[in-house]
Amino acid sequence: MIAVLALLVGVVLGIYFDPTVPSALQPYLPIAVVAALDAVFGGVRAKLDRIFDDKQFVVSFISNVLVAGLIVYLGDQLGVGGQLSTGVVVVLGVRIFGNVAAIRRHLFRA
Amino acid sequence: MTTGQGEEKRAGRVYAPDFLTELFRNPLDPGYADAAARRRDAPAPAGWRGSSARAVAAVVLAVVGFLFAVAYQETMADEPSRSQARAGLIAQIKQRESETDELSVRADRLREEVGRQRDAALSGSRAARLRNLEAGTGLGRVRGDGVVVELADAAPKDDDAVTGDSDVGPPRVYYSDLQKVANDLWATGAEAIAINGQRLTATSTIRSAGAAILVDFRPVTSPYKVTAIGPDTMRDDFEESRAAYLMRRVAETTGLSFRVRDAEDVTLPAAPEPRLRYAEPSVSPSPSPSGSAADTSTSPGPSGSGASPRPSGGVR
Repeated sequence: MIAVLALLVGVVLGIYFDPTVPSALQPYLPIAVVAALDAVFGGVRAKLDRIFDDKQFVVSFISNVLVAGLIVYLGDQLGVGGQLSTGVVVVLGVRIFGNVAAIRRHLFRA
Repeated sequence: MTTGQGEEKRAGRVYAPDFLTELFRNPLDPGYADAAARRRDAPAPAGWRGSSARAVAAVVLAVVGFLFAVAYQETMADEPSRSQARAGLIAQIKQRESETDELSVRADRLREEVGRQRDAALSGSRAARLRNLEAGTGLGRVRGDGVVVELADAAPKDDDAVTGDSDVGPPRVYYSDLQKVANDLWATGAEAIAINGQRLTATSTIRSAGAAILVDFRPVTSPYKVTAIGPDTMRDDFEESRAAYLMRRVAETTGLSFRVRDAEDVTLPAAPEPRLRYAEPSVSPSPSPSGSAADTSTSPGPSGSGASPRPSGGVR
């Protein structure tokens, strides 16, 4: 409940402040979103598995975003930014799918 | 998920046979299982540590929501700028086209003005000869009887709309069809030809650029109307020509439309002045009478309109 409220508060804050993303950070925004989605779905699944842990969630979110951003940054420097961000999206996407499937099994028993 | 499974997975992770299999089988961060196991062994941290961890998690979730909102707005802000750029380009193209039309209308007017002035300046017979030359080469407006050849793309088929197959569109008129029709019209004695109001001259081109057909670098679209002025026998001769035969066959099999009809008293517009960049008029040293004899193979004068130089002059 608190989690959903916090999420909503964040969305409202984002809409309210409407910050402009500096152009240097713009390529990392989609990657950060995917990493955040991975952390959120992982957390929801852990919650349903009854093994949710606040510290684990915080650490996994921050490290996900940082590592994903770092990989893309490194790729940009090496000239393979597009390919590396594809790799990041694939890996995180697979994890999101797996976790969503587990959540689905929990919720619908199917 | 029991902790026993978690332990098993942890042991398996060390010697994970292949990363992707492991990723598919176990998408959840193993840290959650570890934490749960730790919590079972030791009691959960009570008091301010537990609540502060929860607060930090809430803050992180707020950050996630913030991120989503920012990313959404960023994407939405990008979209209109893209379509705006597209709309801007289209508007520019339309504007330039209308500018070109305006300018060419003005050029036509000025050309007529020049013609009038020249007629006033020159003596009657010379002016008449110049007019005939202009009419023959396509630089002057002409009128007379002739034929109109109409070609049009086939109507789009319903099947294609259903399958959404854009590659196999309806049968279309190719630029080569227009070329063949124009060539056979010249061959059957046409003295002036215009395609959709674009007069053909000795330097005219009929080309394709992608899906469009360009006549003298100006796009023409279906339905195509090839108007020709020529002798009375032209229609019958053209009906028997290869181009007409071919196009009739094509029209029968594919659903293109192809029609030839007589036209009474049509007026064909003048072509824009050709810009010769490499060829220069070679002024013969001999006085003009001999030059005119070389230009016009038959007798000069007001009745020499048929003797103007034409690409297919010899075919007739």
